Amino acid sequence: MKAPRPLQLLGQAAAWTLFAVVTGVFAQWPSYSPLAEGHGELKLSMAHLTERLEPCVQLSPEEVAALPPNMRVAERCERARAEAVVQLLLDGEPLLDTAVRPVGLARGGRSYLQAHWSLPAGDYELELRLRDTPRETGFDTVQRFRLGLAAGESALLDIGDGDARLVSGRDPAPAPQENQK
Amino acid sequence: MSSRYHGSSRVLRLLARFELPFSRAFAAEHNPFHHLGALTIYFFWIILVSGIYLFLFYDTSVSGAWLSLERITHDQWYAGGVMRSLHRYASDAAVITMILHMSREFLRGRYRGVRWYSWFTGVPLLWLVFIFGITGYWMVWDELAQYVAVSTARLLDWLPIFSDPMMRNFLSNETVNDRFFTLMAFIHLVGLPLALVLGVWFHLLRVRLPRINPPRTLMAGSLAALLALSLAAPALSHPPADLGGVPLELQLDWYYLAIYPLLDASSEGAVWAGLWGISLFLCALPWLPPMKHPPPAVVHLSDCTGCEFCAEDCPYGAIEMVPRTDGRRFELEAKVDPALCVSCGICTGSCPSSSPFRKQQPLLTGIELPYCTMNDFKRRLEAAAARAGGPGPRIVLVGCDYSVDVSAAEQRDVAALSLPCAGMMPPAAIDYLLRTGGADGVILAGCDAGDCHFRHGDRWLRQRVARERMPKLRSRVPRERVLLSWHKPVDVAGLSAAIASFRQRLEALPAEGPTEDEEWSA
Repeated sequence: MKAPRPLQLLGQAAAWTLFAVVTGVFAQWPSYSPLAEGHGELKLSMAHLTERLEPCVQLSPEEVAALPPNMRVAERCERARAEAVVQLLLDGEPLLDTAVRPVGLARGGRSYLQAHWSLPAGDYELELRLRDTPRETGFDTVQRFRLGLAAGESALLDIGDGDARLVSGRDPAPAPQENQK
Repeated sequence: MSSRYHGSSRVLRLLARFELPFSRAFAAEHNPFHHLGALTIYFFWIILVSGIYLFLFYDTSVSGAWLSLERITHDQWYAGGVMRSLHRYASDAAVITMILHMSREFLRGRYRGVRWYSWFTGVPLLWLVFIFGITGYWMVWDELAQYVAVSTARLLDWLPIFSDPMMRNFLSNETVNDRFFTLMAFIHLVGLPLALVLGVWFHLLRVRLPRINPPRTLMAGSLAALLALSLAAPALSHPPADLGGVPLELQLDWYYLAIYPLLDASSEGAVWAGLWGISLFLCALPWLPPMKHPPPAVVHLSDCTGCEFCAEDCPYGAIEMVPRTDGRRFELEAKVDPALCVSCGICTGSCPSSSPFRKQQPLLTGIELPYCTMNDFKRRLEAAAARAGGPGPRIVLVGCDYSVDVSAAEQRDVAALSLPCAGMMPPAAIDYLLRTGGADGVILAGCDAGDCHFRHGDRWLRQRVARERMPKLRSRVPRERVLLSWHKPVDVAGLSAAIASFRQRLEALPAEGPTEDEEWSA
């Protein structure tokens, strides 16, 4: 059973309009906010080389001579490294307390950690405690930072191989520019 | 004997009821729901062409990506702007048609048994399409791209893939580099398109004569709809990415990016568990539980001449012609692969030996279904012809198990029988009903045009009756006494109207009937 031609055309137009509307609407609506209103973000990123579990052993000249000529080194080091124990306190309250194993099959690489928190905009005291040696208690590094977090800001606490640093997100972003080709 | 084991399910009836108005508006053979897979491929052609145009002006650098897209969008809104919007909306449309295609095949049960392969190979395509879309949004390097990049890095870092976390590339504006954009451009413009083409090839590997392109009316209609949408709501960028901040409001493309709010609301592990869980479930679906399908077609070498018609007509490539094994003088014989046979009976319709005129007892044919043999079929044809009474024209209505229930259309002068597929009807049986069976007219009613449950049954039957395909309807059969009528399972009214109109037509014909070569079609 076929509909009359004008009705068919009307039906087709209605179908394609519906198709366009459904396609277009959910391509951009409803809008979404990754952060609650009045909040900013604190990111922590760690890529830290901890101390070896066993200290390197200095080789004697005889031991060095016994090695193949192309593999002669002055000291022998076990690859395994200590876990990194990280504590982060926000205004004295614990925000993070974790131990991170170094990467690699022999646990000889860096210890990596990524974390983020959504916080209401405001001023905070941050205290970072880091144990990166084979010791069982206490911390090797303790650093304190003042964080002034604005709404929509993303601040970064970056723990590298040296000291940790707090990078404010309010530093102006570089303006987009055309590349010279 | 065949049985109606699909067409009567409530979900299928609802689906048919939903699609029926589209068959009326577009004509059944152009109903968009009959071409969802082909429409998806067509949208990828639009994406490809518009994408190539955009790439001509795109700057693959951190500082230039956003700005180059702003220039494309605003400085040449009539070309680049429209192309960008088309690129985006065709991508969204492809997700819509892809999900509808998958859902429709599931609801119609066309994912199990022999058809597991196409379903199974479709699952990786879902992943490819979504990765395609996500990498595309990434390349704009606006706030939305930043959100997508950071969230994707978070997801990938949860997996034990990278020793140096991916997230470290997106810590601040200084850590993002141009090489990353070159990599993204390579993945989005070369790697993923090639993978997608390969994936579609695998997806269609077991489909004989796949419909790659939709009808031109659908191409034109969908392109016009996407163009109108592109002009009415052009795709625009968010402000440029700034990793020192977090975007406060995003116009999210929910077709591609819905997993990211899910990630915010749950965890990386939960999102991966969901994605892998859904994917594994979809992969396993064809065997949950294993399908008990009817026995495959069997070949009777005594009646097989090796003509190859069945092998040409089988929609699933289940019939192979192999050298003769019984010593008869024919070169080839048909051999059925039970792993590919869906037991549709289309091969019986294509076999020249499938003739009820033959006196052989029991009546055999070259190839037939064990549960719906030629002998049964002849008996049912004769019973139906005997049931159709006067005083007006006597009509035999032959339907299929997946279309409208023909038994509901039985009347005093209309007797019905149903076959597994309308394509199983041999043209000789039409001749037999009109010459020997005493019927004045024959109606062949199958699935809606272009929507045969077994893919090509309607097409082959139409061509055989039109004397365009072997075995052809004999020229002595008056064509005006044969009606081809295609319907959705719920379209009882459409079938009844076709019967009434056909009855009037038969009443107007002289008793012997003219033999003018005029096709009648509802």
